[in-house]
Amino acid sequence: MPTFLHVCVARIRAFLRPGDLDREFEQELASHLAMAEAEKIRQGMTPKQARRAARVELGGLTQLREASREAWGLPWLDSFWLDIKLGLRMLRKSWGMTLIGGLAMTIAIFIGVVVFTFFDFAYGGTLPLDDGDRVIAIQTWDDKARRRHQTSLPDFERWRDALRSVEDLGAFQTIEHNLIIGGGSSEPEPEAGLAEPVIVAEMTASGFELARVPPLLGRTLVEDDERAGAVPVVVIGYNEWQSRFLGDPAVVGRTIRLGDTVHIVVGVMPEGFVFPVSHRFWTPLRADQSGHLPPAPEASVFARLAPGVTLEGAQAELTTLGLLPAASLQASRFQASILQAAGLQESGKELEARVMPYTFAFTGDADRGQVRWVIRLVLVLVTLLLIPPCANIAILVYARTITRQEEFAARYALGAGRGRIVGQLFVEMLVLAAAAAGVALLVVNLSLRWAEANLVSESLGGLPFWIDFSLSFRSVLFAAGMAVVAAMIAGLVPALKATGRQMRSGLHTLGSRTSMQLGGTWTALVVAQVALSLAALPAAVEIGWGTIRHGILGPGFAAEEYLTAELAMGREARSGSVAEGAVAEDGARPFARRFGALQGELVRRLLAEPGVLGVTVAALPGDEPWKSVEIESIESISRPQEGPQQVTGQGLEGGILGARSLVRVNHVDEAFFDVFDVPLLTGRGFDTGDFDPERTAVIVNRTFAEQLVGDGNPLGRRVRYFRRQGEEAAATDERTWYEIVGVVADRPAHVDRGTIYFPVAAGQLHPTGLALRVRSDPASVSDRLREITTSLDPNLRLDKVLTLDEIYREKQVGNNIGASSLAVITLSVLLLSAAGLYSLLSFTVNQRRREIGIRSALGAQPRRLLASIFRRALSQFAVGALLGVLVALALDYYLPAETVGGWNVPGVIPAAAAFMIVIGLLAAAGPARRGLRVEPIEELRNS
Amino acid sequence: MAETRSPILQGTLDLMVLKTLEQLGSLHGYGIARRIEQVGQGALVVNQGTIYLCLVRLVQKKWVSTKWGLSDNNRKAKFYTVTKAGRAQLKAETENWERIAGVIVRVLQPAEGS
Repeated sequence: MPTFLHVCVARIRAFLRPGDLDREFEQELASHLAMAEAEKIRQGMTPKQARRAARVELGGLTQLREASREAWGLPWLDSFWLDIKLGLRMLRKSWGMTLIGGLAMTIAIFIGVVVFTFFDFAYGGTLPLDDGDRVIAIQTWDDKARRRHQTSLPDFERWRDALRSVEDLGAFQTIEHNLIIGGGSSEPEPEAGLAEPVIVAEMTASGFELARVPPLLGRTLVEDDERAGAVPVVVIGYNEWQSRFLGDPAVVGRTIRLGDTVHIVVGVMPEGFVFPVSHRFWTPLRADQSGHLPPAPEASVFARLAPGVTLEGAQAELTTLGLLPAASLQASRFQASILQAAGLQESGKELEARVMPYTFAFTGDADRGQVRWVIRLVLVLVTLLLIPPCANIAILVYARTITRQEEFAARYALGAGRGRIVGQLFVEMLVLAAAAAGVALLVVNLSLRWAEANLVSESLGGLPFWIDFSLSFRSVLFAAGMAVVAAMIAGLVPALKATGRQMRSGLHTLGSRTSMQLGGTWTALVVAQVALSLAALPAAVEIGWGTIRHGILGPGFAAEEYLTAELAMGREARSGSVAEGAVAEDGARPFARRFGALQGELVRRLLAEPGVLGVTVAALPGDEPWKSVEIESIESISRPQEGPQQVTGQGLEGGILGARSLVRVNHVDEAFFDVFDVPLLTGRGFDTGDFDPERTAVIVNRTFAEQLVGDGNPLGRRVRYFRRQGEEAAATDERTWYEIVGVVADRPAHVDRGTIYFPVAAGQLHPTGLALRVRSDPASVSDRLREITTSLDPNLRLDKVLTLDEIYREKQVGNNIGASSLAVITLSVLLLSAAGLYSLLSFTVNQRRREIGIRSALGAQPRRLLASIFRRALSQFAVGALLGVLVALALDYYLPAETVGGWNVPGVIPAAAAFMIVIGLLAAAGPARRGLRVEPIEELRNS
Repeated sequence: MAETRSPILQGTLDLMVLKTLEQLGSLHGYGIARRIEQVGQGALVVNQGTIYLCLVRLVQKKWVSTKWGLSDNNRKAKFYTVTKAGRAQLKAETENWERIAGVIVRVLQPAEGS
């Protein structure tokens, strides 16, 4: 095989020193000619005849030199380089297209790379541990429900004892605790320090062996620590050691309190160690009283593949081993209540154990094979995003190529093949696409940096440690691939079309003006482009305005006076009755009772504080407009006894508020409206009796009432909802009728949306929101809030203690980014359609210069002439605009911008149409001016 | 019978050049061209220039080596010599050619012997 290599090496060497070989070849040819001439003279020819005959026999010298150069070096590289130079020159020359096309390509490639990078983060990562790619996760999988299931403790123990294909098998779960740094005694007082919620990994000792990272100080957890009754111990991370213990070298042996248990610090892990996910505290994992490990990702079983064993091998052994019969595992009361709260039945399961790469266990209940297919599909779809901008650029390139027809015809005549010319056009676009990909990668990289700085610091636990925020090689490769596809659509297609059939006709027209047409396809594309831009413009404006208006107008009330927090209670105090996030049905259960009592006491103590003006407990303490649960539709009747067939409603069809009237929901306590100064407009506020779970009183805001009954009286009207967003509709007879007892004013931040307030009693909601209206200095109140909470019960946790002002501002950063992205995309679409129209008109003027010349020589009015020439192009534009308006109207009707976070802007569609016409006229101005400047004499002479 | 001159069959020039060098040892481009013309006895159209392109290919493949020297009439010329790899290649190509030629001959004389 070395022959091929020899050729490559020889060609590369020749490419690097082209002059030497040229000289040698010249010398060789000269000596050849001299020898041939000498021989011919010997045979009796005259020197002149001999020279001529020798040259004829040797063949054309120029072609020979050219052919030898091609045979020696890397000719395609030469021409590629030449094409790149030509491409750069062309980009500079038609800078308008470069900017517009480049922007559009950059956006499409940026979106593609972001999606790819996301998948790469989620599914492509390997653990940055010693032999990290051999670390796996094992899950109990319910094949019927297609989701992961709790792993039973007997199964876990069986795997640990029996599996030979894996080692260091262990498990962990993440729990949140209040951390209180103790004063050194084994029983620190609650006042010893402020409680702060932290994330703790309850992990088997094998986790440290699996990670193969030795402790920096002391020891890691050992199996003995897992024994029931063992002294509670904790291993802490480097950062915690530095920040909380000031790097105290004698930290081992000191105590900290997690929840209400005092733990002895036994070790410190080195910097950067956050296994299993992003943890900095490790305590031994002990099975809960139900004998189950909580379901992943709350608890995950991990292991390391034994040497020489593949993932498939481990799966085979695990499948052979099987799971213990589900019947033998007593479902605990705790588990049953969780399932009940989630609306699921404990029946008909098909459990199996499955093995997967470790990082995959943290990406939701997905099947690995399926995920691979979904990723491929999404990446293909994302790549297809290139089509709209690149098809537009293709129009521009095609129009330009036609004007360059003479150049290509000349090159064709001089011996350049069609492939060579198509190649040149392709490379020109490749240069543009490569630049776009470069910019896109740069922006992605900056965005990643920003995300790293903001996301990681803001989330309590931090991101999984295997997520690396640097731009991966794979992402760069993907961007390069997208650039090639973009160049193919934008360069290759018009090049093939322009150099095909017409090449010969172009050759004939060399020197005179081309007779080529801008075909129907291209015209249709321009029309479609105009329609698309106009259709998208109103929605973009509404969504954009909806996103930034809070930032511009502000929340509309003194948000800096409100301090909000999330209140939750630790696991130790729960007796297992309330599911996270669900409203408990039975408030008398011990946990809810305890939580309710603590909540009431907390409110009472806070109200006694000097700086606190009011306290309220609600699902959404700030009534944050972007956070609420939305109900998709509401039905209403005036009197429930008459049944649903009596459904009536003024101001709405069939008594149902359709999808156009999404309703927001909040669960609030008695004080809510007072604390936020929301005046009652009619009816009454909540009274104590309304908080009985059996009662069904609700209060609505003015918008809700208006949408429901127009100017009529909403009081006494009964409402029920079909479904909450993202949920299945409940059966008709399961829906509860609620009676409207009062109407309050709209909150300033969201006047457009109907809101319904349900009363919620203390303890019914876990976790719950807390809002305090403070007189001044929220920071000092926030410290007091923490102190009081901790002193009430160490298990009571406060999270996200922020003023409403901070929450609004934080939200605004993301909103501004979203709005700016939307603006850039819309701008690019608009520019592209203007550019399409511009090239269509330019092309028309160019093509008909001679006609303009002749007709104006015959006395035609230039302006009327131009109008007649533009009539066709402008009527196409009008068709596009009309289509766009129709689509925009349809879009506004069937998918109003409000449903996707927009804000209704009256008159936006006519305004967009007018704007589009202005853009169209601006695009027409250049070509029109050129058309008016046509010199009749000049054109007649040329023809 | 009128004498006709045929162009060289595609792919056979390399073979002829290698064979010439194997028979005559070190030789310059002009010598190779003359030799092939002589052997062809005027029946082959040899574009002498293409011999040089063929030599470039053979040199790249390391089937022939080059050396500058002096020709019979004391001119500086580039001399080509077949290498060991070139000989092996020649042997393989020759066998291949004979096999193909044999097949063609048999195809063109189907009636013989029947």
